[in-house]
Amino acid sequence: MDSKNQGEPTGGIESRVRGAWNLMTRSKEAIIGLAIILTFLLTAIVMEIGALLNIQLTPYPANPLPNQTSAILLPPSLVHPFGTDNLGRDVFSRILAATPYDFMIGFIVVGTAVVIGGLLGGMAGLRGGLLDEFLMRFTDIFFALPVLLIAIVIGAILGGGITNMSIALMVTWWPPYARLARGESLKVAHQNYIEAARLSGQKSHRILVRHVLPNISGTMLVYATLDIGTVILVYSGLTFLGLGNRPPAPDWGQMVAAYNGYLLTDPWLALIPGLVISMGVIGFSLLGDGVKDTLGIR
Amino acid sequence: MNLLRFLLRRLAFAVFVLFCVLTLTFVLSHLIPGNVIQAWLGKEAGLYPAVAKLYIAKYHLNDPIYVQYVYYLSGMLQGNLGISPSRGFVPVSSVIAQTLPLTLQIVFLAFVMCVVLGLGLGILAARYHNTWVDTLIRIFYLGGYSSPPYFIGIVILVVSSLYLRILPTGGEYSPLLVSPSPSITGFPIFDALIQGNFSFAENASVHLILPALTLALVTFGVITRVARSSLLDVMQADYIRTARAKGLDEGSVFYRHGLPNAAISLITISSLVMTFLLTGSVFVEYLFSYPGMGHYAFTALQGSDYPAIMATVFVFAAIIITTNLVADVLYAWADPEIRLG
Repeated sequence: MDSKNQGEPTGGIESRVRGAWNLMTRSKEAIIGLAIILTFLLTAIVMEIGALLNIQLTPYPANPLPNQTSAILLPPSLVHPFGTDNLGRDVFSRILAATPYDFMIGFIVVGTAVVIGGLLGGMAGLRGGLLDEFLMRFTDIFFALPVLLIAIVIGAILGGGITNMSIALMVTWWPPYARLARGESLKVAHQNYIEAARLSGQKSHRILVRHVLPNISGTMLVYATLDIGTVILVYSGLTFLGLGNRPPAPDWGQMVAAYNGYLLTDPWLALIPGLVISMGVIGFSLLGDGVKDTLGIR
Repeated sequence: MNLLRFLLRRLAFAVFVLFCVLTLTFVLSHLIPGNVIQAWLGKEAGLYPAVAKLYIAKYHLNDPIYVQYVYYLSGMLQGNLGISPSRGFVPVSSVIAQTLPLTLQIVFLAFVMCVVLGLGLGILAARYHNTWVDTLIRIFYLGGYSSPPYFIGIVILVVSSLYLRILPTGGEYSPLLVSPSPSITGFPIFDALIQGNFSFAENASVHLILPALTLALVTFGVITRVARSSLLDVMQADYIRTARAKGLDEGSVFYRHGLPNAAISLITISSLVMTFLLTGSVFVEYLFSYPGMGHYAFTALQGSDYPAIMATVFVFAAIIITTNLVADVLYAWADPEIRLG
């Protein structure tokens, strides 16, 4: 439908997604990064399905009843790849069980940021004038707020947990996307197909959704993909501070904090969940570096 | 003239953002579930009716909310940050006055380490662009900035307490020593130096190394990345070609013409580096039991000490917003073409 408009790039959103995929698979490090991300993603999806259907997909229960636990503080072995903790819980199972929260929050927060930022920034770039000025000053304020600190205050007062922390991050995460979307939509705002849509009497919110957003989605998508790792990192910090899941439900950062006391006797307990966080984030960093190299952005 | 106008506008914006942070903390603090007094003084509030009364009087808690807001703002501006239940009801401002210098000591050392490590590796990576050196450096900095500060901290703790027992892994100074008094600058290391207490200064400095190194390792990647890329960009500029054409050797071209021009882009990220270091101090000071403001914020969070949480977040935010301001102004000053429209 969009392709009927003269001058508008054909193919809409699908071709842009395909373009982004090609970008992500062109360099060696990007492929490694993507492989890591897909491994985590698959684990998260499988674990979430298991949790929804109430089937235990982890080798051992993540939060076993006391009489179900195996021996305490076992070192890593074939039976317990990451060992067992001070309460005899299998660390590997706990890490798996935490994946849907600790990994997926990146997608949820960044997804919301893309929507909020895309709408605000896209509108600002398209309409220009006072609305642009107002929306961008509003963005500047949120841009200047330190994300982690705001999330800590919100968590301290309204309580932690994945819902509150997601909201706290969503509220503070969108400003870069608004700036990006504004810049991109300024580029397309005076193209023929936008003028044509205007002349045909379409309302600006309709132009935004139908014509501007599909055309800026490529850039937004690349930036968003690279940003997911940062959210995971920040959230892992919040869970370390005790603002994530309520124990005994596991979180990677919370596990590191809880096992910190066994550092001198059983160091793997805290090291392994920490390493898992790093691995997940490195996936996105590698992908990001690879994509930027391919695009020639340094 | 233009620079002055830019400066004033930027300053006004920074003040406004700080005001927004204050308003946010005020609004949020009124959302604390349950009895306000109980929330601010802890669950034992009922045990201290006198303190509760003082609190109600001091914060005008029986007045309408906009009156409370005005008192809150004027109190904050006068440095009255409330009292801290987790520290035996001492004023939060005095705890911060005591702990903030310690955090600044770590952040300062970490900043120096970041610049040395980040810039050094960035220069190396650009100089040996697309060789194994470049790849190795990339793996090192990607690993660093993809890790939570507490993970790097734990690795360093394990290595240095189980294997390399050279540096102290906790505390501000050895328990056998006495902190220098009276405090002159508030910074224990400087105080000790001024008073000629060199053994204390040395001991306290050595205690800074591991926490600062942890912060530096998670942060230096930001500098390496930008240093490398801006060097590579600059080295393709016309004036570099001119320098080469007039017969300068590659080393002189790189260090005389490349490096100074690439340095400008480093100013912008210095504020990002400060943000990383300050927020990272919350985790690192806890791990290394270093009694700075990050540690205070951490324990306040664990003990639901609301005035302390609000105040430490506000002070951290104020420092971050100020660094952003300074970086912006420095950038405009170094490169007037860019921001002064």
